[in-house]
Amino acid sequence: MKSTKFTPVPLTKAETDKKWWEIGDFFRRNSLWLLMYCTGCCAIELPPAMTSAYDMERLGMGPMATPRQADILLVSGYLSLKTLRRLIYTYEQMSEPRYVVALGSCPINGGIYHDSHAVINQLDQYIPVDVYVAGCMPNTEAVMNGFVDLMDQIKHKRANGWKKYHENYSWYKANQITSLGEVDVHDEFHE
Amino acid sequence: MIVNILVGIGIALFGFALQTSIGGINRKIVGRLQKRHGPRWYQEFIDIFKLLSKRGISHGWIYDFGVIMALGGIIATAMFMPLTVDIVAFKQFDNFFIFVYLLAVGMLGMAMSASGSGNPWASIGVMRALTTMLAYEVPFLIVALTIINVSDSSSLTAIQAFQQTAGNNWFIIALPLGGLVGVLSLMGMLGKKPFETYIAPAEIASGPMVEYGGKQLGMLFILHEISVFIEVSLFVHLFLGGASNIFIFLIKYFTVYTVVNLISNVNGRFKIDQVVKFFYKWPLLLAIIQAFIAIYLGWVI
Amino acid sequence: MANIEYLLLFLVGSAVISYFLTRLNSFIGSIFTIFATMFVFVSLAAYGFNMNLDTTVSLLPWFSFSQTYLGFFFVIIIAFIYLMVSFFHPYFLDKYPYKNSYNLLFLLSLAGIIGAFYTDHFLQLFFFFEMIIWTTMFLIPQGKSREAAVSYFGFSLTGSVALLIGIFVIYQNVGRFDIQAGLAGISGTTSVFVFVLFMIAALAKLGTFPLHIWLPLAHGNAPHPFSPVLSGALVKLGAFIGILALIKINPIGPVIGAIDLALGQYIIAFIGSLSIVFGTLMAIKEDDAKKLLAYSSMSHGGYILVAFSALNGFAFAGGLYHILAHALASAGAFMAIAAVARATGTTKMKELGGMIHKMPITYLAYLIAIISMAGIPPMGGFISKWLIFQAVIDRGMILIAVAVFFGSVGSFLYVFRPLAALFLGQEFREYKHVKEAPLLMLIPTFIIMGLNIYTGVIPKQIIDFINNIIGENTAFAPVVATTFTVTATYGTLNAGLIALIFGVGVAIAFIIFILMKKSRKVELMDTYTAANFVHDEHLLHYSVDFYAPLERMYEKQSHWMKKFYDALAHKVKEVGKLAKYLFMSNNIGVTLIWILVIIVLLIGVVAL
Repeated sequence: MKSTKFTPVPLTKAETDKKWWEIGDFFRRNSLWLLMYCTGCCAIELPPAMTSAYDMERLGMGPMATPRQADILLVSGYLSLKTLRRLIYTYEQMSEPRYVVALGSCPINGGIYHDSHAVINQLDQYIPVDVYVAGCMPNTEAVMNGFVDLMDQIKHKRANGWKKYHENYSWYKANQITSLGEVDVHDEFHE
Repeated sequence: MIVNILVGIGIALFGFALQTSIGGINRKIVGRLQKRHGPRWYQEFIDIFKLLSKRGISHGWIYDFGVIMALGGIIATAMFMPLTVDIVAFKQFDNFFIFVYLLAVGMLGMAMSASGSGNPWASIGVMRALTTMLAYEVPFLIVALTIINVSDSSSLTAIQAFQQTAGNNWFIIALPLGGLVGVLSLMGMLGKKPFETYIAPAEIASGPMVEYGGKQLGMLFILHEISVFIEVSLFVHLFLGGASNIFIFLIKYFTVYTVVNLISNVNGRFKIDQVVKFFYKWPLLLAIIQAFIAIYLGWVI
Repeated sequence: MANIEYLLLFLVGSAVISYFLTRLNSFIGSIFTIFATMFVFVSLAAYGFNMNLDTTVSLLPWFSFSQTYLGFFFVIIIAFIYLMVSFFHPYFLDKYPYKNSYNLLFLLSLAGIIGAFYTDHFLQLFFFFEMIIWTTMFLIPQGKSREAAVSYFGFSLTGSVALLIGIFVIYQNVGRFDIQAGLAGISGTTSVFVFVLFMIAALAKLGTFPLHIWLPLAHGNAPHPFSPVLSGALVKLGAFIGILALIKINPIGPVIGAIDLALGQYIIAFIGSLSIVFGTLMAIKEDDAKKLLAYSSMSHGGYILVAFSALNGFAFAGGLYHILAHALASAGAFMAIAAVARATGTTKMKELGGMIHKMPITYLAYLIAIISMAGIPPMGGFISKWLIFQAVIDRGMILIAVAVFFGSVGSFLYVFRPLAALFLGQEFREYKHVKEAPLLMLIPTFIIMGLNIYTGVIPKQIIDFINNIIGENTAFAPVVATTFTVTATYGTLNAGLIALIFGVGVAIAFIIFILMKKSRKVELMDTYTAANFVHDEHLLHYSVDFYAPLERMYEKQSHWMKKFYDALAHKVKEVGKLAKYLFMSNNIGVTLIWILVIIVLLIGVVAL
């Protein structure tokens, strides 16, 4: 009988794509570039994470200048209606695959601003969030731990927020419009 | 001819691999300098492959065409670059001016693509890059003129061979003022601080690269690595006597890049007009004095 | 066999016919002009390359012609540019106030060109020069401004007066009007005098420093299809006079030991290098695309002067090659700008943006032209600049090298500006309706694109022809060239190889590009704005004061030359006013004073 050990079984297209995707995941989880959207006090935890105390770069992470270049959208702190609109715009500009990490309790439930008329309480109603780092504010170890969690999720193919955004786009859009309202005037002062 | 082209492609590939590794090692060195661990030495490879694997955006055909033209121009330039006296793809055609001007095709492609993205910051970055180029090229070309005049050839292998003949010093020693200008110009060419005004991430959002993500940015990273390879090798061949074998080349290459990187890491950033003023003051003056001394008086150490 | 005399008469005749045809219908007249120009170009190209033109004269008394390789080199380039530009006429003529005479003057100036380069008689040279100046002077004001024509005429007149005096000085010393014999016959102080006069004529025609003021005015304000002729063809007349003075007259002044070059030649090279620097700096600053290209012509005029004054075979060949390369490049660039101006009605860069999406072929034509203009391989401008560099390095002309390199790198800056501001960037809503140029205008665009690449890849035929010129006019050694390579002092340049390798590089890059994931197409307005919403594309287009930080550094100094000429014009006017006051006054007192002065003088004379 002919041995099948050394004759490679031809892979289907889906399987090849999966292989490539896994290889890509290795690169992606080892080179996570951040776009920091820092509107709240949690941002103060990032300098120690980047500099010699915790040295984010040893994990291959680093800050980037624009959403086009970045992999992670790092939302730190509360989001007012004005900033939320800009956050969504920024998120939609990022290249895929893209991940969202939310720092602090504000994006989870509004934190200390939960009863403000201008602040939204749950970020994941508007864009999908992959990792939450809870705490008000979370300390730097927790922030680093959040990033390591994200890497783990990417490795196990659980960081699928960006896919969910495509699949449930109408739901997200409806939420966005409910909160922000339609814009009639298009100029620098509205929208 | 086919063999030559394959050798050329090999050199370009080697240059890419070399500079990407050394760039990674240098990131580690800088990390240690700042009391950090630093990334893995192959981090730059991971970054590039990650970018290539992502799904970016496109702003129209010129945005893509510019990137292809840029990377093509740079690969073509690298294919002409000699590694040592013997390892060169196209013997006697490795003319100095090819490296200066064929490199410009790549830069033109990148500038075109960046402006084609329609982002004003990209245009500002391109403007700054071109202005910086105007600043550092003139002193550098005057020193190159002196070297070509003294060594009587503009072929890089011939210039290497001239320095390696007994009795002749490396040009950094033979033309000390010119060597100094060469180092400064190299820093401008590599876009190292204090001359990295055209990237300026916090000011103009990384300048020409502002709109890039995904494979286009990955290709620009490859372009950047290869162009650093070209510029540093050019310096090694012009000033440091080239190399008689590949190990000497590696040692010299690593030393030059690391030294320049270390200098750059203790500097701030110039404004763009300060860059121009700086290069048109001392380096240009030194370059002219060096040329006078070497060509008219014949004083070459 | 084509006869020069018949060609001239043919052009004059068809000029008259075209006048009446244009009067009837401007389109038919322009088509006739295209065919007339084409006939002349084809007959020149068919017979001229091997010097087979008939030079006998039967119908035009007092005229005499002879053919030289040098003259033919210029004639064929200029006739080619005329032919290419004539394709633009049908689409532009209707806009001009005196459109009937446009084709007439156009063909007459071509007749002047052919006469000027084929004559062997100094006075006829002057006659044809004047013919060119007078015909073109009436073409320029059809564009935007009469002032431009006045300035052009003023500077040209300076040049022609200098030329005429020079001719008379030669006649006085040699006793002949023959060009070759006349220039060879003078020596000593006379030759210095003639050299200076001829160089003034050359500088004025070439539009180089310090006689450059007319260049941006005339180029910028001339009718759009005439600017390519001015820049690509007519300024090259100055280069021709420059060759006569720099190469044909024995080197002027004592020889500078260090660089082994005569002082007169060095001064001209220095003026050339000043011209390069000034042209580059002014071009970087300019906002009007046509004026920008005009300043670039000034800078390239400087290169041509440096090349011819280096008295070196490679430089001479490089200079001639540069004339060809720059003629093609600048004609291509001006024609692209003309196509844009036809579609949008402006050449101001701050009013334009994103034309590439509407006019991609025009964009490519401009791109290829500027690659050649900036001296980047694989286009013609690289080979010529490379040859000039060889000579500059060989002579060790350090100060001139500073200017030459500065101009070469600076040209990246100014040629990129129209590219970024006019063709790339945001697409303006007011130009949404714009369409690509019509097919008849694209024909010359494609031909010039092809030739720009041809001159940069296969230098053999051109270098061979230039070698004929070198052999005919100088004692320099010919330049060694094979099909793809040129060899000079410091090594060999393989233009074909560079183009091939560039192709290989682009192929590799394209493979990388195509293998990776397809990009998502987004709108131009969807760019990174730090998450701000911007709805006006004008706000996202960076084109005003493009090089502002650099411009600021020489802003104050940039008006010096203009101020100088304004002051000069003012002084001339003052002198004129004084003369008018003294001699043509209505004031009775002044007249009485004159009468008294004359009487006193008469008495004095009589008394003596």
